[in-house]
Amino acid sequence: MLERLEELRHEGLTAVEASNSEDELREIEVRLLGRKGALTDLLKSLGTLPKEDRPAAGQAANRVKQEIAAQIEVARGKLHAFNLATDLAGDGLDATLPGPKPPAGGLHPLGQIARELEDVFQSMGFRIADGPEVELEDNNFDALNIPADHPARESHDTIWVTPEGDGRGKGKGVCMRTHTSCVQIRALREHGAPLRVVAPGRVFRQETPDPTHDHTFHQMEGLVVDKGVGVHHLLHAMNTLLEGVFGRKVETRLRPGFFPFVEPGFELDARCPFCKTGCRVCKQSTWIELMPGGMIHPNVLRACDIDPDVYSGYAFGLGLSRMVMLRYGIDDIRWLLSGDLRFLEQFRA
Amino acid sequence: MKISLNWVGDFVDISDLSAERIAELLSLHTAEVEGIETVGDAIADVVVAQVVSCDPHPDADKLSVTSVEYGAAEPAQVVCGASNVRKGLKIAFAPVKACLPGDFKIKKAKLRGVTSCGMICSERELELSEEHAGILELPDDAVVGTRLVDHLGLSDSVLDLDNKSLTHRPDLWGHYGFARELAAILNRELIPLPVLEAWPEGSTDLAIELADTQGCPAYFGLAVDLQDGPKAAPALIQERLLAIGQRPVNDLVDLTNYVLQEIGQPTHAFDLDKLSSSDIVVRLAKQGESLTTLDDENRELDARDLVIADKSAAIALAGVMGGAATEVGDSTTRILLESAVFHPVRTRRTSQRTALRSEASMRFEKSLDPNLAEQALRRFAYLLLNARPDARLHGAPASAGLAVAPETILALCPERTARLLGMDLSVSDVAQSLERLGFQVEPQGRLLSVQVPTWRSTKDVTTEVDLIEEVGRLQGYDQIQATPIQAPIVAPPRDPRRQLEHRLTQRLAGVHHCFESQSYSFLDDVWLERLSLPLSDFVVLDNPISDSMRLVRRDPVPSLLEQAHANLRERPSGQLFEFAKGYEPAVDGAAPIERRWLCVVAWAPVQKNESPLQSLFAHSRSMVEDVMATAGLSPHFEPADSVLAWAHPRLHMAARAHRGPEAARLGSFAALHPHLADDLGFDGYQVVVSLLDMSAIYEASKSAKPSFRSPSRLPGIKVDVALALPASLSYAEVEIEVRRAGGKLLDSLELFDLFEGGTLEPGQRSLAFRAVLRAPDRTLVEKDEQKFIKKVTQAAERLGGSLRG
Repeated sequence: MLERLEELRHEGLTAVEASNSEDELREIEVRLLGRKGALTDLLKSLGTLPKEDRPAAGQAANRVKQEIAAQIEVARGKLHAFNLATDLAGDGLDATLPGPKPPAGGLHPLGQIARELEDVFQSMGFRIADGPEVELEDNNFDALNIPADHPARESHDTIWVTPEGDGRGKGKGVCMRTHTSCVQIRALREHGAPLRVVAPGRVFRQETPDPTHDHTFHQMEGLVVDKGVGVHHLLHAMNTLLEGVFGRKVETRLRPGFFPFVEPGFELDARCPFCKTGCRVCKQSTWIELMPGGMIHPNVLRACDIDPDVYSGYAFGLGLSRMVMLRYGIDDIRWLLSGDLRFLEQFRA
Repeated sequence: MKISLNWVGDFVDISDLSAERIAELLSLHTAEVEGIETVGDAIADVVVAQVVSCDPHPDADKLSVTSVEYGAAEPAQVVCGASNVRKGLKIAFAPVKACLPGDFKIKKAKLRGVTSCGMICSERELELSEEHAGILELPDDAVVGTRLVDHLGLSDSVLDLDNKSLTHRPDLWGHYGFARELAAILNRELIPLPVLEAWPEGSTDLAIELADTQGCPAYFGLAVDLQDGPKAAPALIQERLLAIGQRPVNDLVDLTNYVLQEIGQPTHAFDLDKLSSSDIVVRLAKQGESLTTLDDENRELDARDLVIADKSAAIALAGVMGGAATEVGDSTTRILLESAVFHPVRTRRTSQRTALRSEASMRFEKSLDPNLAEQALRRFAYLLLNARPDARLHGAPASAGLAVAPETILALCPERTARLLGMDLSVSDVAQSLERLGFQVEPQGRLLSVQVPTWRSTKDVTTEVDLIEEVGRLQGYDQIQATPIQAPIVAPPRDPRRQLEHRLTQRLAGVHHCFESQSYSFLDDVWLERLSLPLSDFVVLDNPISDSMRLVRRDPVPSLLEQAHANLRERPSGQLFEFAKGYEPAVDGAAPIERRWLCVVAWAPVQKNESPLQSLFAHSRSMVEDVMATAGLSPHFEPADSVLAWAHPRLHMAARAHRGPEAARLGSFAALHPHLADDLGFDGYQVVVSLLDMSAIYEASKSAKPSFRSPSRLPGIKVDVALALPASLSYAEVEIEVRRAGGKLLDSLELFDLFEGGTLEPGQRSLAFRAVLRAPDRTLVEKDEQKFIKKVTQAAERLGGSLRG
């Protein structure tokens, strides 16, 4: 009995020693320690021994069983460590493999920039206003001090809904708005003075599309009316705004510009962000024309029942389409309204 | 508008300033300078050369093979086709690699088998004149190898002004206006324009009649005799015109152009001998009348057009262009020089009707200073008499009407000026700025009384703020210190509609993987017809950009479908969404009615054996539900009752704010009708369109209150039941019954499987639900589960089906 035990012990430990895979260990476990294993069989046959020998033989058999089991665990641990080391050193792990493409959506760059600017303006106390894209002639022209015979009203600039004759030219027509400036009128008439408002939206012109022009483009109108408002305030607001957009101080300058609804009127230029000595974008001038603006014409205030002797104000128009193109270096304005996913996919945010 | 700095220099001393500095001064104080050209840049590569040999081409009668000495080590062999090419001639030569006007690069070439290295140029090729009969012949003393521009003495800088920045300034349509601006900006002397001060004694037999004094308030006609016909204009005149891109013609034409470019007043020379009378009338065109203009176009006139006419016919289209029949020609010896005041808007209309935008009409439409009409004749006479001793004036010009500039005197408050500009200005700063620009300023108490000069009073300066701008721009806007506005801090009211849209935008892009798009507002009839949409439902544009953009969208469905279609080739599946305004025609000519929409268009290839639970339509429903939930709504869905021609007859669901016929409709989603999908080019694709009414969603969301349900601490039991039911029953019908069976204990219910066939009887389908049962106050036991299963079984049987276990 004891010899048989010693035999099995030797056989087990030798096999464990010689094994080098989980499968082999498993096989030894089953062969010796399993329900039908040799050692189990031996334990079962204890009953054939004389009564007084049974405890000692039982203890010896259990010791051998535990010893082999322990050795199997030790071998397993070594094997596991070895396998892990092999894995870690091996070629099986290619960290450079690409991942699956996550499902993605995206925000239109025009929407993104409008929302960003709305945030900047709201932090400066501006409310956001809205107005229709199909607009009354009075709001688009008359109230903005654009005279009845002004060329801008004519068909080669403005897209009309109302046929010629039909009250058109007398403030009674309906047109696709040519600028967001008409929201000035709506906001001033609705809220009166003092007021701070911005109004983003699309506008329409009779324009043959090319890389830098489209018949539909986006603007954001801004306006402040209060007592004692001057050009220095306009300049400050524009500088703050550009700082918000570009994330740093931007050098600016005002030049004379003419728009019937402001006087004096300006063009605001910013230092070209792309060069120091002149490039294609700034037409070699180192300045980029960014936004028109000016002091609201007294006639506009009057048209909105605001006394120009008490209140003054400034207004400006931001070219959102242009800002987007400048920010991302988009080479053709027609991408913006193309709906082409190859374009849209580039703007995640 | 091009401005020669040499020319401006006649009237103000700018010799110490670079062209760049002048351009900057004008940009900052007056109008936008878009570019600076150095005259001769386009022909900078052309050199003076000499033909050292000239032989006939062996293979071509009209060509010569020459050898040209041009200052290089070796002479160049050049094939030339001009008849005046000959040995010894000094010529203008463009060697290989030189660039000629029009970006024309000279390359080595073979002409009829003979190599030609360079080009001998004509005047036209050099853009010096229209002359193209032969090559340009240079004088014998021209030095071979020198640059042609140096030889010709072309050294001038030309500023290119943005015309759009000049539209409100009638005084800036000539060089003198810019001289006046620069004199004011630099505070330098403005030299008066030399003119013929006194008309000679004598009389003219011209008689002028004005039949329309609104259209032409004043007309001057100066008769001039010349012994000889037209000649070449003096070199200086030609050079100046060339510098600003005007080709010299002859002295009579050149001088009218010169005066126009100098002071902005157009004049026109008629050949007096070609007129049928010396009576001139300015009248409206007659019905059916026509006129052949100088450009040899025969133009039908409109009864609203103003013409200049002699006794028999129209001889010029007033303010726009002269007639061909009375044009000055080689034999002209008597001219009638016209200078007049024409109505700005009417001139523009005529110019538009005839599609003729001339240098003259461009200026008349700006409301020119009426005083310029006679001034232009005096300047012309001064220049002509200097250039042509044979010219004789008959006396003062004949005239009709009155050239009167509006007299404008404005009150200006210096204190308001400083406040509005945000500048520190004294009264004398204000007064002096204006005086430098030619305004007359008188103090009047605390105010200034300002008389506007005639060249600014026609339309540009009419109110106090116009004067404030003059002060500001002359002082320089760079003097302004940016200053924050001082006002009470008031939090601006937020627009809840906009906030809702922003939230939904984030949700659609972030959770539903949609791309925010922008599509055009204008629609094509053809596309709408393919979508079976009635064109009469749309707002029609009177003057669309093109016929394919005639209608205004009611909602973004057609335009997003178009975008989806355009994407198919590169992106076989995708989702686009847009928040957009749509317009519907109103009755009685009122402004169109506006609605705000959210539209999502999703597309993907048709999948074989796809579970309806995984279809694009099912996904779209989940998306719509989630959008609604984001707005705080849990709407009721029902099959849409409206018959949309483009929508699938069955896969079309509407969302209402709640159950019941009076509940507001929030929107709908539908698969594209399979017939239509093929027509539209979507064959092989499933397309689902969701169109949500943002006004209705916003209104409904206002009454939605944020709510919270405390999660239960007691465990629930999961029960899966599968029911075999007639396939004709809709899920919605079954769901109601299962929910009823669950009663108060039903915590959640989810359909997790759906199939037909297999062991099922024909006409049946299996719906597998996972229910969670839970009570707020006790732990559920097996009895509860059995009770639920029993009730579900009874419900299934009532519906004509059975429990599958």
